[in-house]
Amino acid sequence: MKYLSEYRDPEVARALIGRIRQAATREWTLMEVCGGQTHTIVRQGLDELLEGAVEMIHGPGCPVCVTPLEQIDKALILAARPGVIFTSFGDMLRVPGSDCDLQQVRARGGNVRVVYSPLDALALARRNPDKEVVFFAVGFETTAPANAMAVWRAAELGVTNFSVLVSHVTVPPAITAIMEAPDNRVQGFLAAGHVCAVMGWTEYEPIAARYEVPIVVTGFEPTDILEGMLMAVRQLEQGRHEVENQYVRSVRREGTVPARARVEAVFELANRKWRGIGEIPMSGLRLREEFAAFDAERKFGLGDIAVDEPAECHAGEVLTGHLKPPRCPAFGTLCTPEHPLGALMVSAEGACAAYYHNARHRPGAEVAAS
Amino acid sequence: MCLGIPGRIVAMRDDAGMQTGMVDFGGVRRDVCLEYVAGDVAVGDYVVVHVGFAITKVDEAEAQRTFDVLREMSRLDELEWMAEVADRAESVRAPSSAPGGAP
Repeated sequence: MKYLSEYRDPEVARALIGRIRQAATREWTLMEVCGGQTHTIVRQGLDELLEGAVEMIHGPGCPVCVTPLEQIDKALILAARPGVIFTSFGDMLRVPGSDCDLQQVRARGGNVRVVYSPLDALALARRNPDKEVVFFAVGFETTAPANAMAVWRAAELGVTNFSVLVSHVTVPPAITAIMEAPDNRVQGFLAAGHVCAVMGWTEYEPIAARYEVPIVVTGFEPTDILEGMLMAVRQLEQGRHEVENQYVRSVRREGTVPARARVEAVFELANRKWRGIGEIPMSGLRLREEFAAFDAERKFGLGDIAVDEPAECHAGEVLTGHLKPPRCPAFGTLCTPEHPLGALMVSAEGACAAYYHNARHRPGAEVAAS
Repeated sequence: MCLGIPGRIVAMRDDAGMQTGMVDFGGVRRDVCLEYVAGDVAVGDYVVVHVGFAITKVDEAEAQRTFDVLREMSRLDELEWMAEVADRAESVRAPSSAPGGAP
């Protein structure tokens, strides 16, 4: 087993599509939370193959997309600062801030470097004691253990020229916010398999019970996603609303306990703003007081800053499932991956980029199909 | 950044107090922090890696089982389909037995 190609078997996929069509007596509306799943669905055209049985609404699970503009602008300020080496995951570089992006700051002489792991940023700080190294700690529960470890190690090793600009968000409050929205259409969720690999699924059990909504922990390969959809559809048809686990090979109910413990040791829950959506109570993480020395916002005295989103960008409606990317008036014209208006067109996990790169960007195509 | 990739651990070592491993991703090898799964893995195991960190071990027996179930399902569908085709062929050969077939 290689744990990839096996789950791309077209025969198995075809059989699953048949099972879903058989099971569905009507069209059900599901949301895949994670942007990685959105890409698989759009690339393989799973949504088109299941028309009439399942409608997929693409969720807000793209960290690049939901990082608030304020944090992007703070990153730009820090990156332009003399004596700072600003480090980030590569996919944040082209996210538009109020008036430019990190790549442009770098072109103007800012010391911006892409790292694969936050530990690489910490190593850079140790090699450059005369510089301040700042790491852009963004992401969901999947990157939180890595970012927590970098801060923990910095404290352990006594590294004082390392800090993090935190913009961490968590999935369960977003699911709650979607279910609470008065115009919500989502009837079942495919929960993000890797978020649950870290956190387990106990947090989702009260949500499934309270909103009577099926939640299926789902993997990322085509047959994983189809099996997750089948499990959700069967629950809906039978009037059940439970948390089920499709991604059994990688997810345990309690998650990865040492990773959760380290995240809890370094971070605490906090209110967070989501780009395009707004503030969701207790939906993010911030550094605990004992790690305040590693908080870049405090270290460099970045207060609140005013921001300005372009009015033409409808990212918020896309993120909440009210607008499919090709129906956005700016899609493929004013807004392209080369000249993005919003983050959803930049990120590998953004819904707009998923449609654009899979040639589903002819403005008439989606309209004609629906 | 959010894309986790499964890879196979080919070597493990202690790197200044941190469990680290060389992980093979279909031919590409990288250093990966194994600190969060250290008690659970050995050389040869598969782990899911996110931004340089193994976040979970892939359970090989469970993976095989799920895969076998799915393959069995698609094989059954194929048998069903073959049976359906055979039925149709049968009804073509004996048109008088088909409902409404007789004049």
